[in-house]
Amino acid sequence: MTNKFMRMKKFISPILVYALLLVACGNDGTSTDQAQLENELENIKELEPNLSDDKITSILSSIPSPLELSVQIQEMGIEYNRDMLNNADNINKYNSRYRKALNLGIYGTDLGYTNIYQHTQDGLNYLNAIRQLASDLNISQFLNFESIKELTSAKSNLDSLLMITNQNFDQINSHFRETNQSSLSTLLLTGGWLEALYITTQVALKHPDSKELMERIGEQKIVLGNIMVLLDSYSRNDAEIKELMLEMQDLEELFKKIEITYTYGEATSKIVDGVIEIQNTSTSNVVITKEDIENITKTTEIIRNSIIG
Amino acid sequence: MTEINMKNIIYVYILLIGASAYSYGQCDSKKQTLECAPRLAEGYTFIKGFELDRKRGINGVVEYSYVFTKGAKYMINICGDQGIEGLVFTIYDNARNKVASNELNGKSVRGIAYPCTSTGLYYIIYSFEKSASTCGGSAIGFKLRSS
Repeated sequence: MTNKFMRMKKFISPILVYALLLVACGNDGTSTDQAQLENELENIKELEPNLSDDKITSILSSIPSPLELSVQIQEMGIEYNRDMLNNADNINKYNSRYRKALNLGIYGTDLGYTNIYQHTQDGLNYLNAIRQLASDLNISQFLNFESIKELTSAKSNLDSLLMITNQNFDQINSHFRETNQSSLSTLLLTGGWLEALYITTQVALKHPDSKELMERIGEQKIVLGNIMVLLDSYSRNDAEIKELMLEMQDLEELFKKIEITYTYGEATSKIVDGVIEIQNTSTSNVVITKEDIENITKTTEIIRNSIIG
Repeated sequence: MTEINMKNIIYVYILLIGASAYSYGQCDSKKQTLECAPRLAEGYTFIKGFELDRKRGINGVVEYSYVFTKGAKYMINICGDQGIEGLVFTIYDNARNKVASNELNGKSVRGIAYPCTSTGLYYIIYSFEKSASTCGGSAIGFKLRSS
């Protein structure tokens, strides 16, 4: 849905409601008119997402960076694997705003992954693909390509590179929210999260005894729950998002089997080097089987491949 | 002709004064957030920025949430247009139990290092109530606890 249309819709909806009320007041108020009015009002309601802007912003901002999973994989000593990623040449397949936004999220995660492993040429390929998609979505002003390209090529300052790319993606999300294009922001984050889950599950296939990976995958139940709330909200007036939500529901069903328990413990704190250091005593436990992992891996692959294909 | 020019100058002057007064009152929380990110301690990777504008909150309180992951250590810092004195943020778990705050012995500290021991949705509540700042930003960085 375009930005212009979103703004028009916000403006038109109250006018339509007011006009309908005027028409209703001017008539005899028969039950047929009343039913018609209620029907029209219901239709208008369905045009808007069923969540408030604040709620949408809150959920969007809560979704963790896909980079966290990639860093964990790298720090576990697992080798770089280019074959898992979405080929940057696939960009020509993405010809709608829906597909561009989803795959921008996917390429964003892939760029983060290549950056963490410092695979410069792959990183530059993803950067070019991102540049093209960002331009098509009119958000290229938020991506500092020259600085990112320079830092990627130099391989010298990984911290600065990650900071600048994360800041740029953060700004894109803010821009989508501020310009009433939160559905694109939702797609961007969904694509990014799904790619991170795909990479993690593919790695888990090769390391089936890694309890750490199993736990990380199981914990994604929490993030998926939030993503589903957003997709459900937009699926009311967007057929493509509705289709995506139906596919994601298969994944949601599998995650329902996973149990996460939490025990609260009081934390203590002290100042170290001008910062408060927290000593945390809360704990959590994830109950997940190898069969759960296999099923989640298969379903994630199906959904992800349908998006990039 | 001179009179028209004079009128124009006065008109432009009034516009400029008005514009500067307007911009003076504006909160550039985006800028504050961008400035806050590099102030994370060494070793932390920036992952998220939160813009803070007192006017957009309720009773001087702005709320955000984030999913923290077990095994990672997070640094959450804060910046304010008039400094961080009195600018307080508190982290609560999903059941709204308090797990951390940047206020210690009545003083605000610029950041919290939070080792996450259980993955879940956490709420970060920023309060301007005791602060001269009305505008600010907050950055979240992370690193693995083993690193």
